[in-house]
Amino acid sequence: MNPLMTPTPHSHAGAGHFAGFCKSYVPPVGLFDEMEEPDGSVRPHWLMFSTLLDDLGAKELQRRWETARQLIHDNGVTYNVYGDPAGMDRPWNLDAIPMVFDPVEWGRLETALVQRARLLDLILADVYGPQRLLREGLLPPELVFAHRGFLRAMHGVTPPQGRWLHMYAADVARSADGKLWVIADRTQAPSGAGYALENRLVISRALPDVFRDCRVRRLALFFRTMREMLENLAPQNKENPRIVLLTPGPFNETYFEHAYLARYLGYALVEGGDLTVRDNRVFLKTLGGLQQVDVILRRQDDEFCDPLELRTDSALGIAGLVQAVRSGNVTMANALGTGLLECPALMMFLPRLCRHLLGEELRLPSAGTYWCGDATARSHVLANLQRMVIKPTFLNPHRGGEVVFGEGLSGEGLSALRERILASPRDFVGEEQVTLSTAPVFVDGHVKARHVVLRAHLIGAGDGYSMMPGGLTRFSAAADSMIVSMQRGGGSKDTWISSTGPLDTFSLLAPAGQVIEISRSGGDLPSRVADNLYWLGRYTERAEAVARLARGIAARLPDQNFETSPELPVLFTTLIHHAIHDGIPEPGTRPEEWLARVLLDDQYPHGLQATLTAVYRTASLVRDRISIDTWRIINRISQDLPGHPAPRDLGGQLNDIIPGLDRLILTFAAFGGLAMESMTRGFAWRFLDMGRRIERALATVSLLRGALLSETEREGPLLEAILEIADSSMTYRRRYMATLQVGPVLDLLLADASNPRCVAFQLDRLAEHLHELPPTEVSAGLPMHSAIAALQGTDMRRVAEVDEEGHRAGLELLLNSLSKTLHSISDAISQGYLSHAVTSRQLAAANRWGN
Amino acid sequence: MAVYNIRHVTRYIYEEAVPVCHNVAHLLPRASPRHEWRFAEVDISPAPAVRTDREDYFGNRLTFFAIQEPHLELEVTGRGQVAIEPRSELPKTKVSWEEARDQFAIRGSELLGEMQFSLDSPYVHSTEEVAAYGRESFAAGRPLVEAVLDLTARIHRDFAYDTKTTTVSTTLPEVMKARSGVCQDFAHLQIGCLRAMGLAARYVSGYLLTSPPPGKPRLVGADASHAWASVWVPGEGWLDVDPTNNLVPSDKHITVGFGRDFGDVSPLRGVILGGGRHQIEVSVDVAPVDAECNGNPQLPNF
Repeated sequence: MNPLMTPTPHSHAGAGHFAGFCKSYVPPVGLFDEMEEPDGSVRPHWLMFSTLLDDLGAKELQRRWETARQLIHDNGVTYNVYGDPAGMDRPWNLDAIPMVFDPVEWGRLETALVQRARLLDLILADVYGPQRLLREGLLPPELVFAHRGFLRAMHGVTPPQGRWLHMYAADVARSADGKLWVIADRTQAPSGAGYALENRLVISRALPDVFRDCRVRRLALFFRTMREMLENLAPQNKENPRIVLLTPGPFNETYFEHAYLARYLGYALVEGGDLTVRDNRVFLKTLGGLQQVDVILRRQDDEFCDPLELRTDSALGIAGLVQAVRSGNVTMANALGTGLLECPALMMFLPRLCRHLLGEELRLPSAGTYWCGDATARSHVLANLQRMVIKPTFLNPHRGGEVVFGEGLSGEGLSALRERILASPRDFVGEEQVTLSTAPVFVDGHVKARHVVLRAHLIGAGDGYSMMPGGLTRFSAAADSMIVSMQRGGGSKDTWISSTGPLDTFSLLAPAGQVIEISRSGGDLPSRVADNLYWLGRYTERAEAVARLARGIAARLPDQNFETSPELPVLFTTLIHHAIHDGIPEPGTRPEEWLARVLLDDQYPHGLQATLTAVYRTASLVRDRISIDTWRIINRISQDLPGHPAPRDLGGQLNDIIPGLDRLILTFAAFGGLAMESMTRGFAWRFLDMGRRIERALATVSLLRGALLSETEREGPLLEAILEIADSSMTYRRRYMATLQVGPVLDLLLADASNPRCVAFQLDRLAEHLHELPPTEVSAGLPMHSAIAALQGTDMRRVAEVDEEGHRAGLELLLNSLSKTLHSISDAISQGYLSHAVTSRQLAAANRWGN
Repeated sequence: MAVYNIRHVTRYIYEEAVPVCHNVAHLLPRASPRHEWRFAEVDISPAPAVRTDREDYFGNRLTFFAIQEPHLELEVTGRGQVAIEPRSELPKTKVSWEEARDQFAIRGSELLGEMQFSLDSPYVHSTEEVAAYGRESFAAGRPLVEAVLDLTARIHRDFAYDTKTTTVSTTLPEVMKARSGVCQDFAHLQIGCLRAMGLAARYVSGYLLTSPPPGKPRLVGADASHAWASVWVPGEGWLDVDPTNNLVPSDKHITVGFGRDFGDVSPLRGVILGGGRHQIEVSVDVAPVDAECNGNPQLPNF
């Protein structure tokens, strides 16, 4: 740092105070504020930052912050909110002002939390081993035995290096007297480290100068340590072990973080269904076959990990995983069973457990915790009910119920609560509420005070633990709210600790000078992902086909009389057959009603609405595989059509629906273009494209079958409509001028391999894709080439000939045979490549105990 | 001394081939008082690629196995021969139920193994309704054994045996509402009532010799697996009670294993890949062996 640039407290008027826009910051009286002393002066460790921020000015901060928010949006940083349909993929709320921590205090915090992590690990070793703590009465056995998180199947299974807790996070808060407290322990699969990293990325880009001058400690080293730790966990000290990140899936609240961390650390992101157990070993199901997994970084709750030996109602688990762990063939991080320690009652016993297990005093106190199963603690809770938070001891829906704040209860509510506690005391824990400290938050151009909680992250390293020099600071949604929760609309901050020594500028993203193994194979694409991409391709194409057909009809409706225009009924039957299988227009049903059903009613599985829903759902499942731009397109699809409730009749809205369909068709064109131009030609792209090709060919076959098998009176308008729907009018006109005849139309749509809308073209693409994929028994000898040859050798004018009943028997034969070929290709793809994607399920319980 | 040959066959028939299955069986018996097992085995067909026999958390014998080649049928047979001493008499202890309960209040007691059975478990939640039903048998100061036998008789009297009203996943509140069920439900109910009083109660799984109707021959395979409850009596140990038949098991009940509830000792569980629909056939045969000839001419398989 250039010493001339160093701002000192004396370089500004009103030393220690915010000079510029920050002076409007007024923290609440009587609480601890992280930045300001009670006399209004700035705490020393904030001085550098606040001065630099003042220099920057509110306007410039606002400008930079808008760019940063765009970055968050573009990166698709989200946080899912449960039980809120609109809350799926809520954008991540990050504050422009970081939380600045005193480096000396940070050192003390690290020492204390390392002690706590060691202590928790020793408790796990005892509970899953000799259980001396329970026998000797140091830890009430109920807290273990009645807790769902105590996994009996894991008892007696010692993990590698004797460590259960590899990753640990503590929620740390500061009370009004300035003391730090642990208010929650996260031992299951702590979230937040990935969000902390993303926060750092955004803030350091928005405030590069401030970030540099504050000499903020970097995070990358922490993640390198994490990677080394996970590599060392591989059984038999394997070199280059395969490590995967196990996620419960896109509906999890922190799915974004799972995908983000997997990408950052270079691990495959997998769901339970992607893994399978053979010979007591865990394998990843990929297109290239089964590949053994050595270490599983687990972001799924442990009891859901194995439907055979843990929770039998889990749909997310891997049957046989527990046995594979027991056999020592795979390591879980954290070990299965660590969730037990999130029991809030445990905090009450930590001081004496710490003395017993470590021979030390617990360095950092927990929020005052009183387990009502203990008589003394119970009396305390009952005597102070009004200032307690009452929590359920066990994760048991039948016991304890919701978290209750005594503060807000009436006299009646309090006595009801008292009775519930007395009826089954051990199910309740009383907690004293810590009055959270405040910190400045940048809201709408102003700096306001919000309550904050820090989540600090630790990982097992060597004999002990090391802490991330930073973390995820979360703040409350409102100044008067003590609830700090991303679920309830709060936000987050980057956390800065300035360095006193040299900065480690190591980066995981660009390991300069390090030799990276070039990888081009893509053979480790999980079968599930290939399956989802294949269906994403099919659904987008299917939706486009319906939209094109419907647009063709809608555009003709206002001008023509339904009864006298010969092409309309034919197109209509085709559409209805296509979108509503076996649907026949009832006499008297207005065409506008039918259009409304086909387009907007989601009860028809092949209708437009249901297909679009399928597009969105399938795309969500492979979000980590599609680009941000593609995701934006997918997002737009849902906005192109009128939403719910679906109108019964489109009579009045025909003029609106046509532009809507136009937009939708353009959106699909953009999707197809991006797929062609921005995806590497790996297996992922091939499966997406195969799905599109199959579906497009099927749609053309279905259109011709519906429209041309029987001759209609005047075929000109019908042929024109077909060419328009199949997006081939221009080509036709160029080749054949204005003369419309069935034969040439068939040739253009079936046999002309230079037309990208033609069936022969799709078959050609499919042949190329299958040639590039790893060969399977079923994919060998598929009839793509012979089908193309047959199409091209056929005289379509003869196929177009009509018999005396007005029927085109030759065309029917040809279309039937094409349809069979296409289905056999589709089956071969499913059986050859996607059969691993089959899900597992429980055998019905055989032994119903009778008698 | 009663001697039995036991044969417990479970067969799954699948519509489509199952490429992989993983299973856990609780079919091998643990050592139990008064039981002398002459042999016990589990046969699996097709032959599993992986098989591990071990003890589970409660000391039961557990068989883990995996079949890794496509199969249309799975057959698991538990078989064995056991000799059982009849129970001599009921415990004479007059210890009250409160004294039994209060043993667990002592921190750091030696009763950790017993105490764990006094708490809720996945299939048994002592709801207020269950507690209220059980409480009627537990007047203040009543001797524990007397109270437990009274509860056993009441369940037998108040609940109808009916195989139609409940399934393996029926919960206690549903059983309370239906006032009927099978042995599994009655055992869970009694365990729930006992735990609601703070007592330790466990779920016992095993077999029961059924007598053929008078004059009819004993039908092979017509017997069923059975379940009952067991309560911890201070100074005496565990006392089995069978609420389905309102009796204290003697030499017609054969213990295989025990746990907190059905879920801990489910005889056979499995997770399969694919397979389409499947059918299940179960047959249990408990055949008395004439102690003299030490075998049963009717069952050449043994």
